[in-house]
Amino acid sequence: MNGGWFGRYLRVDASLGSGQIVTIEAAALRAVIGGAGLGAWLLLRETPAGFDPLGPDAALIFAFGPLGGTPLTTSAKLAVVAKSPLTGRIGDALTSSDFALAGKRTGFDAIVVRGRAAVPSVVLVDGERVTIAPCEDLWGGGRPIGEVEATLRERHPGFEFAVIGAAGERLVRYAGVVNGGRHAGRGGLGAVLGAKRIKAVGVRGTQRVAIADPPRAVALAKDLARRSLGAATEKYRELGTVANLATFNRLAALPTRNFQASTFEGAREVSGEELKLTRERGRGSCANCTIGCEHFYEVTPGAPAVKAEYESVFALGPLCGIADPAVVLAAARACDELGLDTISTGGTIAFAMECAERGLFPRGPLADETEGLRFGDGARLLALIDAIAHRRGALGDLLAEGSRSAAARLGPLAQEIAPHVKGLEIPGYDPRALQTMALGFAVGTRGADHNRSGAYEADFSGKVDRLAAGPEAAAYAIASEDRAAVMDSLILCKFLRGALTDFFGECAELLAAVTGDAIGADELRATAGRIVLLKKLFNVREGWTPAEDTLPARLFDTPLPSGAAKGTVLSRARLGAMIEAYNLGRGWRADGSVPREAVIAAGLDGLVDISGLGRGWAEQKERILQGGEETGRSEGERR
Amino acid sequence: MITIELFGVPRMRAERDSVVVEADSLGEAFRALGVACPALDPTVVQEGRLRSHYLVAVNGRQLTADPATPLREGDVVVLLSAEAGG
Repeated sequence: MNGGWFGRYLRVDASLGSGQIVTIEAAALRAVIGGAGLGAWLLLRETPAGFDPLGPDAALIFAFGPLGGTPLTTSAKLAVVAKSPLTGRIGDALTSSDFALAGKRTGFDAIVVRGRAAVPSVVLVDGERVTIAPCEDLWGGGRPIGEVEATLRERHPGFEFAVIGAAGERLVRYAGVVNGGRHAGRGGLGAVLGAKRIKAVGVRGTQRVAIADPPRAVALAKDLARRSLGAATEKYRELGTVANLATFNRLAALPTRNFQASTFEGAREVSGEELKLTRERGRGSCANCTIGCEHFYEVTPGAPAVKAEYESVFALGPLCGIADPAVVLAAARACDELGLDTISTGGTIAFAMECAERGLFPRGPLADETEGLRFGDGARLLALIDAIAHRRGALGDLLAEGSRSAAARLGPLAQEIAPHVKGLEIPGYDPRALQTMALGFAVGTRGADHNRSGAYEADFSGKVDRLAAGPEAAAYAIASEDRAAVMDSLILCKFLRGALTDFFGECAELLAAVTGDAIGADELRATAGRIVLLKKLFNVREGWTPAEDTLPARLFDTPLPSGAAKGTVLSRARLGAMIEAYNLGRGWRADGSVPREAVIAAGLDGLVDISGLGRGWAEQKERILQGGEETGRSEGERR
Repeated sequence: MITIELFGVPRMRAERDSVVVEADSLGEAFRALGVACPALDPTVVQEGRLRSHYLVAVNGRQLTADPATPLREGDVVVLLSAEAGG
């Protein structure tokens, strides 16, 4: 390894307050790259089969990419990886910030946090030194995340922090991890930290990221920065992701009122075009990013502007039947300050609104607390966000579990309309009107996911019939997942993908310039498939069955009621044919189970324990790589 | 007559939501759009073609950029960004 990687990770034991340095062999890094790929591999290694994602055996992994810390635009990113307490499957969320850069400067390719602190604490990683510092004064007070971050910076100068909010403390199953205003949002990773009684992880370091071929890397960085300002990203620069909203509404692909429709009569009010004209107050960007897709909007005159993305506006707006931009933006800000994933928050509340309208809540506290709850009620939306984050009342506590768990309490009809795949609430791409995306959602290892699968790209390419996709869509879904796996592991922002004309060739060139590893395009493509398989193997180990690769019952066989796609139907049989084509295209069995030969062909037999594969992986044997070195003790332990 | 509906960046640049043109094909519609909205030529349309990263949905349904696509009287052409990441 001549650059990019450090060849080691730090294992932090929050129970003991110690750190242990573990070597990663070069071949392993080459096989999984870094970021999401490295995180998935470490998750398999660092946890026993069937572990409780909120228990002390759970591992939360901050995994950096080999391109992090280099001049390459958008490379200041990290993957946060754990078993999701919302889905019981792999949860990996990408985020960008100075935390990623500072984390990389600690000199580790990943930081793995296990155990459980005795009292609410902050984990401080200062190079190789690990300290667990109690912070009971920052726990339970309901302070906004931004204030907590500011306090921590004052107490621990030079550190960058990843923080949880009230929702993470209370183990809301879709609480996120926040760093510098950016969110590792999906899947409840904040609850994993909360269960460890860790309010924040701080990182500081002085290690320089070596670059194997500096002149080449600088030249590539300049070229990539230039292309990042081209036509492929102008939508994100000029309007932001919220530009999707009006377009999706016109295409009847905008999930509305808990997926009862795919068009929204109030779309114009919360559209990107309208927000830009009436409320935009500024733009921003992630650390080391030339694109600058962040757009800040005024909520109320005189109040600080709030950053809003399409997914937040869709989930807290049309999905809940709300067209008032002031309410939607206030809801997005509340989620940010409380540390809640906006998609799952909006999805779960929209589900509750429909259940209330249908009278599905049982008599007692739940019926009492949902009395009068209807779509379009902005005041109730805001109140419910706060109730969920604090698990206040019977309803807040129920909805904090997510729509799948809530539906299990409310009965069969609720289960038909709960808007999730594998427990993860569905993002703002209506799968009936974007049917390659329907496949991407169904087979996604994280659940319904628009970041690990960009299968909607095929729907938006004209290469498949977005309203009647068939098995031919599978190849596009696979290609999209493979590209995402590479970008999430290098790590680079996916908004760059349209600027890359030879995706695997160019990514291989970037990796080679930084690491000195001459990985060609074909090997990188194979690596992408290996990373997707690693995530699948984790899910298999944790109990995956073919039955969970599907969509909510309500999305099948009922014609869309309005808009340009009116009358469109997604049938179970057609989705089933697409799933089968996808599984076979991956080299798996038709039902999605993974034969040993596929694991061996992917080169994973030496990297993960597959001894039980085919027998359900009843128990994962712990594999020890190399002995470690104690690097620190907690303040609590020293006392 | 053909109505071209504008979304996203094209709408902001043209400072209008829609344009009505006469056209028998998408290529003719793109050429007429460039004339009606000079701010979109050449960043969105150029010489009767869509620039990369843009697409249209004829009557809001199937997406294409093929200028040979025939149009019928009353068709609505929805012009949008092909980049749908969110």
